[in-house]
Amino acid sequence: MKTLYPLTAAQKMHQNWILNYHTQQVSGVSIVASLKAALDFGLLKKCIQMEIKRYGCLRLRVTAPDEKGESEQYLADSDSRDIPLKDLSGMTLMEADDLMQQWAYQTFDGDEIPLCEFCMLKLPEGYEGFFVHMDHRLIDSCGLVIMINDIMQLYTHYRFGSDMPAELADFEQVLKADLKKATNEKRFAKDQKFWSDKLDELGEPLYSDPTGPAVLEKARKKHRNPNLRSADIEKKQLFVAVKDYILEPESAKRLIDFCMNHQLSMTNLLLLGMRTYLSKVNNGQEDISIQNFISRRSTHDEWTSGGSRTIMFPCRTVISPDTDFLSAAYEIQNTQNRIYLHSNYDPALIMEEMQKRYHTPKDTTYESCYLTYQPMPVKMENPYLKDIPQHSKWFANGAATKKLYLTVSHTETGGMNFSFHYQTAAMTEHDAELFYYYMMRLLFTGIEHPDLTVEELMRQV
Amino acid sequence: MNQEMKFKELIAQYSSVAAEDITNDMRFREDLGFSSLDFMSFLGEIEDTFEVELEEEEVLSILTVEEALNLLESLQEA
Repeated sequence: MKTLYPLTAAQKMHQNWILNYHTQQVSGVSIVASLKAALDFGLLKKCIQMEIKRYGCLRLRVTAPDEKGESEQYLADSDSRDIPLKDLSGMTLMEADDLMQQWAYQTFDGDEIPLCEFCMLKLPEGYEGFFVHMDHRLIDSCGLVIMINDIMQLYTHYRFGSDMPAELADFEQVLKADLKKATNEKRFAKDQKFWSDKLDELGEPLYSDPTGPAVLEKARKKHRNPNLRSADIEKKQLFVAVKDYILEPESAKRLIDFCMNHQLSMTNLLLLGMRTYLSKVNNGQEDISIQNFISRRSTHDEWTSGGSRTIMFPCRTVISPDTDFLSAAYEIQNTQNRIYLHSNYDPALIMEEMQKRYHTPKDTTYESCYLTYQPMPVKMENPYLKDIPQHSKWFANGAATKKLYLTVSHTETGGMNFSFHYQTAAMTEHDAELFYYYMMRLLFTGIEHPDLTVEELMRQV
Repeated sequence: MNQEMKFKELIAQYSSVAAEDITNDMRFREDLGFSSLDFMSFLGEIEDTFEVELEEEEVLSILTVEEALNLLESLQEA
């Protein structure tokens, strides 16, 4: 008999996007992982099928939403599907990537159906591997990287006799523990008080847009409210474009060293760069909110259980222009640390509270920008494979719920990748380029002269 | 299991250092590899496991295992 569980807050976040935007596409995540080597596809198939047994989240099914939009989830006992092999070796690598991008746009339509698809691939230039397309209610990016490594460890175990990978944590047990934490009344009351106090202290947030104040002005006219502090969300034209900018290893090292020397986390430095840019293009606005994604993976079990553990919280800071760069960074760090302490809370409740307090119009938001920092490289960390060239790539799902979603990750060569996913209805490539260019100038001038005030910094760059 | 060992077992769930190798002078971030998020999640676990209530101001200044243990003991005595 199947045991039904409610969705966690992180899963509900994706579920709500699917319901609000009327397409599952917004919850898709896809990646290709391949090696420049001839693989034994019979063995690879066996390893992927074993992984579906080992990594419980891959067998997750979601029930149809009820009249309130609430679904439940359960684990299918077995899933003995075939894993097809597709031959794209006659194409160029770019053509193969384009085709996989099309696969990434596909949706999982239906209830209680498998929400992940695998296929093995023969790629151009001698690369071979597999492509996986999933729903974010099952897994987040960290979970996917761990799954890929586990599959390849199984492969090298059976192929070369390496150690069998360690058992992964039981998804169902971790899910139960998460749901128990979420219903801990004492903890819930403390978290609720924290977020409520924050609004008491700072009042209603104020929207800031990467293209400047005209967006808020437009929303004020549309809603006939000259004091409106939120702006409209684009819900019809969801197409997203992606623009990647690579920061070379020497420059990335300067950012990393600055963080190390000042006991700062990279997320907080990046948030400072983003908020300072938003402030600069919005006439020096001091009150800036950015949605920051965090991955709730701290214990060994949380790391290896799979599941969707990434959730976003608004990082709201009001920083006076006479604050120096370093103090502003610590102000953000302090804010973020407190948010982490209360990150078991469901962020949907924060939005609900704001709507209740400020009568925020339907389909408007206080945040335009979202940040994900991924400290973990998408690389198969396997001693048997480390000298073999790899081709791994994430594919955008093609439908953005967010105006600008910046994912920052580290490259294999020590650089950093700034990947801007932006709604083409709201932004252009030029807007993304300006964002990156000024964000870098602000950050590098700031780390060079940490005693410069935010105002001086914005004036100088 | 005494309280100190129970405390270190809890730390070991977050760190690559085994409970028996954790010493009181170890720093959570530098020696035990905790991120800010790990540390804050760990504090939540302390509250649930030892049934104490931590004050935000106090916990944000904790650097070492010993400081955390001392705080825990003082809260239990209070």
